[in-house]
Amino acid sequence: MVRLLSLFSLAVFTAFLLFVSEMASAEEKVTIGTTEDVFLLPWRVKLPARIDTGAAKSSLDARELTLHEDRVEFRLPQKYGGLRLSLPIIEWRHVRTSEGLERRPVVELEICLGSERFRTLVNLADRSMVKYPLILGRNFLRENFVVDVKRRRAVKPNCPDVR
Amino acid sequence: MFVERGSLGQESRSFLRIKMVSKQTQSQKNPVWVPAGLIFLLVSMVLLLPPGRGRAGEKITVGEVEDVVLIPWRVTLPARIDTGAATSSLDARELIVRNNIAVFRLPKKYGSLQLSLPVTGWQKIRSADFKERRPVVEITFCMGPKLIQTQVTLNDRSTVSYPLIIGRNVLKNNFVVDCMHSNCLPPSCPEVPSP
Repeated sequence: MVRLLSLFSLAVFTAFLLFVSEMASAEEKVTIGTTEDVFLLPWRVKLPARIDTGAAKSSLDARELTLHEDRVEFRLPQKYGGLRLSLPIIEWRHVRTSEGLERRPVVELEICLGSERFRTLVNLADRSMVKYPLILGRNFLRENFVVDVKRRRAVKPNCPDVR
Repeated sequence: MFVERGSLGQESRSFLRIKMVSKQTQSQKNPVWVPAGLIFLLVSMVLLLPPGRGRAGEKITVGEVEDVVLIPWRVTLPARIDTGAATSSLDARELIVRNNIAVFRLPKKYGSLQLSLPVTGWQKIRSADFKERRPVVEITFCMGPKLIQTQVTLNDRSTVSYPLIIGRNVLKNNFVVDCMHSNCLPPSCPEVPSP
């Protein structure tokens, strides 16, 4: 009887441990708001980003965009320092916008969001009409984020090796 | 007990049997260990529960696409969950506004039901090369366990994959979006009997 009881309680406990570990892995996801500040690395430029589950891919506001063989040169908006960047083109993508199809160059960026660094693909477009210079779309958000729509700026960019 | 355990390996068989018998009677004599063990397990379970779980539980997690049911017509539409859109919008075909009533059809794919709803406002759309005014109507739909009454702008969205875009005006209502999933929350409003 005693042995049965202890066996039973051990079984319950093991099941519980499994349950907790499963929940913990679900909670590893970082909760972010609908806008977040990120650092563009390695330049440490701080940009506000719109967290957009309606966008399939991320995109960056690139001004004065020019092509040089397999590289693309552009400026960040003046408001965020107007830094001139030159990056290799990873691919060309047809992007469906509210105004139709557009062909855009795609580059790889490293950003710091919250306490982690991420490498992600973004397409480049002149987004001067739009409020946020960086849109983080589903290709990025699928990595490990959930968006809490009640919140804005839920995490501060604070990567250990970036100051 | 302690001495017994330490010497178990080296003792003769008969001695072991005697020891085991005495062990059994001992634990039967001290049944207090069983509830104590159970209590210990329970306490550790409570301590292991991650904090704030109850609070997070109030939020409703939706995926990047969810089926919703338009009320009272009980038409099921797939909706794109769009944190980038400030307001929600509905694909309206053959849209005509007369006497402040918007008359339109849902896309053929979803039964092309004809609806006429009072216009509650107009939304100005500014975009790179055109200006537009779109009528706003109020609709009710069931998303997950929640019945949601909300304003949607009407426009022809035939170029876009989803007939309904659910924007931040609805999602602010305590929803959390997880893009790893879609259709993780089948409509189940208590007020709406399942079709």
